[in-house]
Amino acid sequence: MVGDQIINGIILGSMYALIALGYTLVFGVLDKLNFAHSEVFMAGGYVGLSWIALGAPVWLAIIGVAAVAGIMGLAVELISFRKFKGSDGQITASLSSLAVGIVMIDLVQKYWGSEPIAISLPVALRTAGFTLGGMTLTWLKVGILGFTLILMIGLQVLVQKTALGRNIRAVADNPASASLLGVDVKRVNQQTFFIASALAGIAGLLLTMRTGFASSDIGLGFGLKALAIMGIGGMGDLRGAVIGGLVVGLCEGLGFQFGFGRLADIMVWVLMIFVLVVRPAGLFGNATARDVRA
Amino acid sequence: MPETLLQVQDLAVSYGPIQALRGCSIEVRPREAVAVIGANGAGKTTLLKALSNLVPAKSGQVLFRGEPLGTRGPHRLARDGMLHIPEGRGVLGTMSVLENLRLSYDIRPAKLSFAVALEEVFACFPRLSERRTQKAGSMSGGEQQMLALARALINPPDVLLLDEPSLGLSPRMVKEAYRILRMFRDRGMAILLIEQNVHIALGFAHRGYVLRQGQVMMQGACSDLGSDPDILKHYLGTSVEAA
Repeated sequence: MVGDQIINGIILGSMYALIALGYTLVFGVLDKLNFAHSEVFMAGGYVGLSWIALGAPVWLAIIGVAAVAGIMGLAVELISFRKFKGSDGQITASLSSLAVGIVMIDLVQKYWGSEPIAISLPVALRTAGFTLGGMTLTWLKVGILGFTLILMIGLQVLVQKTALGRNIRAVADNPASASLLGVDVKRVNQQTFFIASALAGIAGLLLTMRTGFASSDIGLGFGLKALAIMGIGGMGDLRGAVIGGLVVGLCEGLGFQFGFGRLADIMVWVLMIFVLVVRPAGLFGNATARDVRA
Repeated sequence: MPETLLQVQDLAVSYGPIQALRGCSIEVRPREAVAVIGANGAGKTTLLKALSNLVPAKSGQVLFRGEPLGTRGPHRLARDGMLHIPEGRGVLGTMSVLENLRLSYDIRPAKLSFAVALEEVFACFPRLSERRTQKAGSMSGGEQQMLALARALINPPDVLLLDEPSLGLSPRMVKEAYRILRMFRDRGMAILLIEQNVHIALGFAHRGYVLRQGQVMMQGACSDLGSDPDILKHYLGTSVEAA
């Protein structure tokens, strides 16, 4: 059914968006790409299934994953970004984060093995659902969609309406000017990494709940697509990440429906090439995409 | 209140092999406006940046209210009562006028509520009131300078460091900016002013320092410095009359 694939596409897209938001938040504030981000997302699935294996209810597992992934983000900031300030360190920091990400894959494989691990959710939770206008919806799908929506709105409110968000936008605008205004740039960097990584970890758990498995190779596949989505939406633009994620998710869902099969998988990369040729700064970016915008 | 608010002792700063400041000593007393003048490249901006810890000092030290600043980050200095308005004004262009003011208000505990402080600012800068929801970067250079100065009003610092407030402004806006600065000065705010326009600087400040190649060549009351045109001409490559 086309309707089913549209719903699947939107769910997929909202998870892409959650990860892309983290990439773009860090890029907006530090002007640097965090390549470890997709592996924090990957690890989120394993951390989540571990919490659930310990008997934690889903809501507690989500909080647990957010905390653990957030702390991973703090570690990435400390190891790969703290020392490399300014534009000179852009490439060094990104290379360092790439290395941290690859080490994370290896550690996960050492501990859990390289085969996907099933999450022990009650069957009822995965299959219970209803039909709506010919579409079969599970409560799980509705829950994931609703929850990602809440997270995206929550992030928007945080960035636009709170003192923390004002500091984040100040540093994204200009770190030196922000520091002269009393903003602790180091602390804002840490807060940004924590938030971005917590969102990625939660996305990892949600994807694991959706597919039933945690897998150590989704960082390089699924996670890296979110990087392309940031490029499509415009570097450092929160709105671009959300809309880019949904567009790509929908395209993939529909591509699958119309029999493109594996071709659907490279759609995002083709789309990024096309968008960047037409609009080099992405859909919502401007030439000097240095700010996190609404 | 200690005798000196801000004391710079033998401060030296290098950018690689280039020595920008070579043992520079100046002081700012409470309620005093001090001008540092000098030609381009004399080390004026470096002096302010080193004061705010935006660039590291190679040797020497800075005492603020009698305590050494050490390597405290710029944000700590701002919280302790030092407001540095850098060259180019340091306005956050992607944020609204209100948000820029809010950030400045939140630096340290304030006497007035934000609403009351804001009223005072808008009374003083009616233009900013009209533009309150506009992005700061979309305003003219003069308006941005007004916003930068308004930050010193919304939650007054103990000492204001100003880097070339007249730079890039029309003569009318320069006059306006200094009208505001005189108001700050007369209210007793200590000000350390970097200015290329010797005439304006000496007319504004109580005391002045002449900087050349990273060293203080002359210092004294502004009235004395201004009456010694030969020496000024020698160090600045410009005469007071021409400036």
